[in-house]
Amino acid sequence: MTAPATAKTASYDRTGDVRMSSSRTVGLIARREILTRLRDKGFIGSSIFIVVLILGSVVFQVLLQSGASNVSVGLTGGPQQLAAAIREQADALGLDAEVSEYDDEAAARRAVESEEIDAAVINAETVLVNESLNDNLGVALTSAVNSVVLAQRLAEAGVEPGLLRPVSLSVSSLQPADDESDENALVTFVSIMLLYTLLIFFGQFIAQGVVEEKASRVIEVLLATVKPWQLLAGKIIGLGVLAFAQLLIICAAGLGGSIAFDVITVPGAAIVTVVQVLGWFVLGFVLVAALFAVCGVLVSRQEDLQTVLLPMTLILVAALVLAITAGQNPNGTLAKVTSFLPALSPMVMPVRVSAGTVQWWEIALAIVLMVLAIVAAVRVGGRIYAGALLRKGGRVKIKDALTAERVS
Amino acid sequence: MLEFDGLRKSYGTNLVLDDVSFSVHPGQMYGFCGANGAGKTTTMRIALGLARADAGEVRWQQRTVDLEVRRRIGYMPEERGLYPKMPVLEQLEYFARLHGMNVAAARASAAALLDGMGLGERSKDALEKLSLGNQQRVQLAAALVSNPDVLILDEPFSGLDPTGVDALAENLAERRSRGVPVLFSSHQLDLVERLCDAVGILAGGKIVASGTVDQLREAEATRQLRVVIPGSNGGWAHALAYARVDSDRSGEVLLRLDDPNRDQDVLAAAMAAGPVTQFGWRQPTLVEIFREAVAA
Repeated sequence: MTAPATAKTASYDRTGDVRMSSSRTVGLIARREILTRLRDKGFIGSSIFIVVLILGSVVFQVLLQSGASNVSVGLTGGPQQLAAAIREQADALGLDAEVSEYDDEAAARRAVESEEIDAAVINAETVLVNESLNDNLGVALTSAVNSVVLAQRLAEAGVEPGLLRPVSLSVSSLQPADDESDENALVTFVSIMLLYTLLIFFGQFIAQGVVEEKASRVIEVLLATVKPWQLLAGKIIGLGVLAFAQLLIICAAGLGGSIAFDVITVPGAAIVTVVQVLGWFVLGFVLVAALFAVCGVLVSRQEDLQTVLLPMTLILVAALVLAITAGQNPNGTLAKVTSFLPALSPMVMPVRVSAGTVQWWEIALAIVLMVLAIVAAVRVGGRIYAGALLRKGGRVKIKDALTAERVS
Repeated sequence: MLEFDGLRKSYGTNLVLDDVSFSVHPGQMYGFCGANGAGKTTTMRIALGLARADAGEVRWQQRTVDLEVRRRIGYMPEERGLYPKMPVLEQLEYFARLHGMNVAAARASAAALLDGMGLGERSKDALEKLSLGNQQRVQLAAALVSNPDVLILDEPFSGLDPTGVDALAENLAERRSRGVPVLFSSHQLDLVERLCDAVGILAGGKIVASGTVDQLREAEATRQLRVVIPGSNGGWAHALAYARVDSDRSGEVLLRLDDPNRDQDVLAAAMAAGPVTQFGWRQPTLVEIFREAVAA
């Protein structure tokens, strides 16, 4: 029954074979990750939820700001200069007041009742509103009426009009701040929230994918043809592409919407901030994804996953809290130190940058430290990953994974 | 030729493989037998790079098996495992491509295998939606889909119904006829005996018997002579000084001879005792060879 010894290889058509390089293998793995996630209802649902959440918060800002800054005021009777004075005072308080004149009190009252206008000033004596008067508008109206009536009375008393010109205070700030930096802070804050959410979200998905391969034992089939590092790299790249695409969609929609609705008046600065956050996201993602994957490989069941992921999750929560703290005090020691620490820097450094107090070398240093951390995580993490992939049963200790025989 | 050369492996103080050497020729179906824990799975996993030998190596066509060679090996692990939520066709296509097939060849091969297994209709279903028997078929398909040059299958028949066993046997025979060496482990010795050209028996981490089934039978020291004299008792056989009686019931006697050349003397003695209806050397079953080898 023994076949002739001359038969060297099986007689299959091999024209459909391609040379397998590492990049081809990694590409195939990444492609599978992407296709699988795009079919996963849980992933799509959560992705949509994140997009809606972030865009929703931007829309909320739009509504909040537009509701507060535009006021319309009706006038009847009172001095001629009153309309101009109201506009001036409102403007000083950050309100955009539209002033319209009415023939009599009844017409003004009807306009208030029909909510055409927010308030009506009757004969420079009474303010008519539907329910209550907006605080800022109240101040604006009071000072407008005061200044006009006072000027009128002084003029009547014979004071020269020249003396009535208002005195203006000139402000000179030690640290020039402007609308731009306020807007920037807002954009940065939203971006940091986004970064945090996506890192946690995708970290979880990476870890779940790793456990799935262990739990289903498909890992045994995979590792017969694929090296552990190729598997790890494919996963990180595949999910990275998805995460980056999601981030781009959110940023484009959020930024476009914000500019369209005038939440942001200086798009240039906001775009710079967003680009900066995208860069930090790439670095942060690689580190977080590698660490989550390594945590995931220590267990064999999805039920055990949350326990091993807890330390990683806490680090991300800490990064978020530190980033928010840094927003309040970007020059504090805490903000400075944490803006260099890998895993924290992707969230803290953008906050400091948008506060405008960072030297270029500080950014460079943070990036270098982050890259070093990634190299270390991939090296050591890769060893743990390779050592623990084929271990079954309970939780694998990191020490055991490092000393375990590894598939090559 | 697939060569296992001097494999040695221990886990801690537990010696699992002790100088395991054997080879599987192209177009040969090699049955790998042994009790639980004998080291069959470890031997196979070393060939696939899933465990590392302390000494020795596995070669395919004189070349040490590395990742590139392993892409040409079809492997079915003892613990079955595929992606539960991935559609079966796509899954097979994926494994074919990881083994180096291009998209078109991978898809064609995967589709042809599923059709051949009667699973063509289910090709878009997630694996977990299939019955366990069908999942097992897909697992086998995953080992075959890249048209491997070598097949290493760990207990491929376990969990299959008789139809499944026949289908798998047919499939493996087709691969063998193309010159593919097939190494598979099994507890079902009758199957191994029926299907295999060569057998290796592993016990206590050592290959205790290896060769073609015929060679093993030849080497078998316990060949039995079977004599049937209806209606007689076995008294005539017990009287023979040069033979040992293994069994004696209702006219059928099984004997072992100190000197196999004296079989004609036995026949003469038997004919003297009564009318002999059957006489001949009995082929030992693989089960018997196995028992003997493992006990030795």
